[in-house]
Amino acid sequence: MTGGGLVVAGLAVLAAALIVALIGAHRSAGRVRGRLATVTADLERLQHEFARFAPIDLVERVIARGVPSGGERKEVTVLFADLVGFTPLAESVDPSVLVRILNGYFERMSAAITAHHGHISTLIGDGILALFGALEANPWQTDDAAHAALAMREAMARYNEELAREGLPALAVGIGLHRGRGIAGLVGSHELMQFTVVGSVVNVAARVQALTREHHVDVLLTADVQEALDPGFTLRALPPSPLKGVREPVATFALLGRDGGPPRA
Amino acid sequence: MALRDVEWQACLLEPRRDPAQEAYVRRVLGTVPSSVPYFTAAPWVVRSMASLGDLGAPLAHIEYVLADLIALVVSQDNSCRYCFAAQHVLMRVHGLPPERIRQIEQDFLEAEIDPRSKLALDFARRISRASPMVSAADAAPLRAAGWSVPAIKELSWHAAYSVYMNRLMTEAAIPPDRAERMSEHWALGWIAPLARLVMRRRWRRGQPTPLAPGAHEGPWSELVRAFDGLSVARELRRTLDDAWTSPLLPRRAKALAFAVVARGLGCPLGEREATRLAIEEGFPAAEIEAVLRHLASPALDAVEAALVPFARGTIRGRPAQLQQRTQALQELLGPEQIVEVVGVTALANALCRLGVVTQLT
Repeated sequence: MTGGGLVVAGLAVLAAALIVALIGAHRSAGRVRGRLATVTADLERLQHEFARFAPIDLVERVIARGVPSGGERKEVTVLFADLVGFTPLAESVDPSVLVRILNGYFERMSAAITAHHGHISTLIGDGILALFGALEANPWQTDDAAHAALAMREAMARYNEELAREGLPALAVGIGLHRGRGIAGLVGSHELMQFTVVGSVVNVAARVQALTREHHVDVLLTADVQEALDPGFTLRALPPSPLKGVREPVATFALLGRDGGPPRA
Repeated sequence: MALRDVEWQACLLEPRRDPAQEAYVRRVLGTVPSSVPYFTAAPWVVRSMASLGDLGAPLAHIEYVLADLIALVVSQDNSCRYCFAAQHVLMRVHGLPPERIRQIEQDFLEAEIDPRSKLALDFARRISRASPMVSAADAAPLRAAGWSVPAIKELSWHAAYSVYMNRLMTEAAIPPDRAERMSEHWALGWIAPLARLVMRRRWRRGQPTPLAPGAHEGPWSELVRAFDGLSVARELRRTLDDAWTSPLLPRRAKALAFAVVARGLGCPLGEREATRLAIEEGFPAAEIEAVLRHLASPALDAVEAALVPFARGTIRGRPAQLQQRTQALQELLGPEQIVEVVGVTALANALCRLGVVTQLT
């Protein structure tokens, strides 16, 4: 082989190596693009899912610019629910059974709340803090919360029938409703943050829920809720009771039902 | 395509072919979308699907590609799988590579689009979200960026039209599978240039179209007049008249559905007009506030009592929730009435988000 031939052969080998390298690079770039597309699709999915728990604009702001420090004053209706007699139940059944019972309870209560335009802000042990009118302005927030409470009552009755068939103890829930202005925003630490409402409106709802035991009813609401409520709901006025953190005794009403057929969805 | 994971029920309407209606749609769009047969029970709905879009009412102030981008962004925001997939196909036909479309879907504010278009897309999405309702102040950045008032009205209309189409397809759970398969088909890249040629032949620049003297009156005339000069005004007038006179649902029930959507969105213009119409149709004036405050009243008849809470449920929500509500309504109303209910509530959702156009001068 002449010197020129050697150069040509060398160049051909070099070119072949270059082509192989290019194909390899192209393939690996394709793989990276594929992975990127998957990750992006997952992120999009997450973004859509997050919109169930916080206003979509807020979700986007968090993604684009990090967690905003401010909050917004909003008129909301708060529903606070808690299982009655949960502690003795927890001590009497097997932990795995208890978790199954609890999950079944949360699933049914959550469905009743979201079907009536509410969203669950927090689960505290066996308690549920649900908000109406926090994600978007909602002129029907109080009626929605009352409808949700009635739907929870119905769902609870059906769940108890299921539990009875399995020989498991029945559950009872106490629900407190209150309406007022609270501060809505992202609250928590760097590790755990959630969109919620803070302020006395939440505290009063929680304490009204505790009053359900005293009055032996399952759903109690305050005068602020009663004033905004559809007169089609049947209420029973109860004697005012002192509430921690509230100067005057608070008048409450037991929610009995609604005239004119089933609750709306 | 993240929307493929969005829960979507089996279709709630029975398809029914109607050659005359399909011929009209083909004349306007050049094709008959697979959704058309599901709505033929209410001819005004089918007509409006074609006539209110940019091929039925030609664009005079914004680009066709921008109108389609608006539809893509709004459909994605509303999680309408059918419209999103259809717009995805259109974007490919426009010649946008998949990566670029994906970039826009992910975050159009960061995508490689000119700043004026980004402003327009952001504005359109805010109209769709209506949380809170867009006001004239929200249009100020667009004016500062050089958008004219008629152009802002035109892009507002396209946001509302997308909301309309999204609600139609979502409330009725129109099957998205075909459009989704097509949007990801390997051959789309090859067919796109040819389709682009065909499609662009249908693009016409809209001419100034003043409303006919008689068209200044009628239901929602204030809103229609706000679009005077744009070709969509004439089509909107016709759609509203046809929807109003359609015999499938009583007018009073339709007016109440509009009023409820207007109250839910915080649209005083829509609420004023809809309550006026409901009272004109014999609904007791003293009971209107009870209906709007509590979505219930002894004055509601059986159809209204079902329609009022349903209308409220169409304002926001995930597709599956909307579809469950339509399904529940099927137990109370006939199949033809359901089609009109879907049309009326979709139209109410679109128009009640448009209060801003009456504030622009």
